[in-house]
Amino acid sequence: MRLGPVPAALVLGAAALAALLAQRLAAVAVIAGVLLAVSLRAPASRRRPYLVGILGSGLGVLVLSPFLTAQGFHVLWSGPTVPVLGKLDVTEEELSIAALNALRLVAVALAFTVYALLVDHDRLVSAAGFARRSALGVALATRLVPSLERDGVGFAEAVRGRGVPVEGVRGHARLVSPLVAGSLERATNLAEAMEVRGFGRPGHTKAPRPPWTRLDRAAAVAAGVLVLAAALWL
Amino acid sequence: MALASVDDLTYTYAEAAAPALRDVSLELEDGEVVAVLGPSGSGKSTLLRALAGLVPHFHGGRFRGRVTVAGLDTRRARPADLAGTVATVFQDPEDQVVMARVENEVAFGLENLGTPPAEIWPRVRGALDAVAGAHLATRRTAELSGGELQRVCLAAALAVRPRLLLLDEPTSQLDPDAAEHFLERVEDLRTTVVLAEQRTTRALALASRVLFLEGGRLLLDSPRVQALEWLALHRPAYLPGASVGNGHVPHLGETVCRVRGAVYAYGAGRPALDGVDLDVRRGEVVVLEGPNGSGKTTLAKLAAGLLQPHAGTVERTVRAGYLSQDPGRYVVRERALDEVALAVHDRGRAQVALDLVGLGPFAERHPRDLSSGERERLGLAAVAVAEPELLVLDEPTRGIDPHRKAEIADWLFGQAAQGRAALVATHDRSFPADRRIALGKEAPVAV
Repeated sequence: MRLGPVPAALVLGAAALAALLAQRLAAVAVIAGVLLAVSLRAPASRRRPYLVGILGSGLGVLVLSPFLTAQGFHVLWSGPTVPVLGKLDVTEEELSIAALNALRLVAVALAFTVYALLVDHDRLVSAAGFARRSALGVALATRLVPSLERDGVGFAEAVRGRGVPVEGVRGHARLVSPLVAGSLERATNLAEAMEVRGFGRPGHTKAPRPPWTRLDRAAAVAAGVLVLAAALWL
Repeated sequence: MALASVDDLTYTYAEAAAPALRDVSLELEDGEVVAVLGPSGSGKSTLLRALAGLVPHFHGGRFRGRVTVAGLDTRRARPADLAGTVATVFQDPEDQVVMARVENEVAFGLENLGTPPAEIWPRVRGALDAVAGAHLATRRTAELSGGELQRVCLAAALAVRPRLLLLDEPTSQLDPDAAEHFLERVEDLRTTVVLAEQRTTRALALASRVLFLEGGRLLLDSPRVQALEWLALHRPAYLPGASVGNGHVPHLGETVCRVRGAVYAYGAGRPALDGVDLDVRRGEVVVLEGPNGSGKTTLAKLAAGLLQPHAGTVERTVRAGYLSQDPGRYVVRERALDEVALAVHDRGRAQVALDLVGLGPFAERHPRDLSSGERERLGLAAVAVAEPELLVLDEPTRGIDPHRKAEIADWLFGQAAQGRAALVATHDRSFPADRRIALGKEAPVAV
């Protein structure tokens, strides 16, 4: 039995919120671990860029933030004094906070990954009664992420195919502007296609969808309980 | 009363110097299948957009004249008001798919039009059946091939039971078999169809009436038989079976690209290429053929050095230039001239390359302001300007009119005669070659 898209989105939102509210490292680690396990259900080729990005960002927070904050008294490493930043040292407390923040970031990003890769956005849009346009906008933006990735590779390939190397920050920066313009053009084409298909016309209806199951209802309740628990006890 | 009428329409896009349509008048009757032919940039897509109400509502610009569809004046009725009466399938299916699953995509238009909920799923199934796409219903749209996606777009258009179906080069991204199947579905419809196409053979076989646009003017509006006579007299390149023949006798030189046992896979899936061999020699034009997904593009990229094989070898003794199959990739700079000059930093040479592909007058234009066919030619100029010894062209004739196609073929054989080599991956069976290699079988087959 599978969760419906609305309860699934509720659970994922609750997990992300719980990760932000929880103060215990272990609790956030468990949430991130569960989300990671769920995300592994997505096809490897689709999940790879998300997971690489998430792990990179998490590591970045873990490594850098102890140097950018000054908290705690249990010094593990004492470094030189750097202009603007001051004295560089790493304390046990800073490491602990960095680990918590890194895990929070990872958990929130994993919740989005699961939403992007495994949730049926169409039914989510359909369920959004009063905010259909906004829900559709979010769903389309999510769906266009892989297109953006493909466009980036395609631009680089077309430039290299002309014998022009695409190397370093400068080489890649040259592609940012056409990439942004390209996604705007794609969005315009999509808007045109939606317009001719009657989007925005008053009096729209919805195709009938399966009703919520017991599992869906239980998941919605569990989502609320998770947020409450994170705020009060975790 | 006519289903649709266009009265003395002249339309200029916002910020364009010249009208895209000039003094166009015509009427469409119920049940007609109308083929719209003409060079790229001649106004075919604009005419379809005018019939859908997108011109002027979506694109702005200056609109003179009148277009009425099912009694609605498009100056007052918006495209969304015409939806249901008019349905449109555009050239690129990726730019028109809204939903993540096929059945929801087909249902999208029905929901927008306020179709009673109980009717939606039966009509979705009916439309998918009509395009032989019932098996696709629960698939994710992101996982479909171009041909499958275009059929889904047609199903979505048919589901709303339009009186007027507008098809804007709907087969340009499909291989010949997929295009044939798509147009067979169109033939079975009982609705008015306006079909803009560069693949004229099938379109002319399908049409009961033919329009020919050039420079925004309607040069021909005739029943098919008279239209064929007119084309034979005035535009023979558009006739079915018109060949682009080369008459080229290759003087073969040394091998410039040798592929042996090449294997390449995207991700963990089945290899796109599995043990392929290929030789390309100086002085010849080699065409790679095969259906969508047969590995033509992958082999072309391996030959050009853009991909490295996971197994096997690729040896190249000369510099290669690669033309992407997506003309939207040649928009890195702000002006067409600068775009072409990117590889050589020489505007003089860039201007010559632009002139060669007939885009000389558009040197100052932004590449994004060019039509799809014009962008294709811009890409060709951008690659050719560096004078690579091995030209690797991926679908160079997509969306290109027959005249330009013949010019590209002539130019390519001219390059071969100068001792260069060319490898062309294409769906276009009429594109001439010294040698053709068919992919998508157990092993590449020379044909």
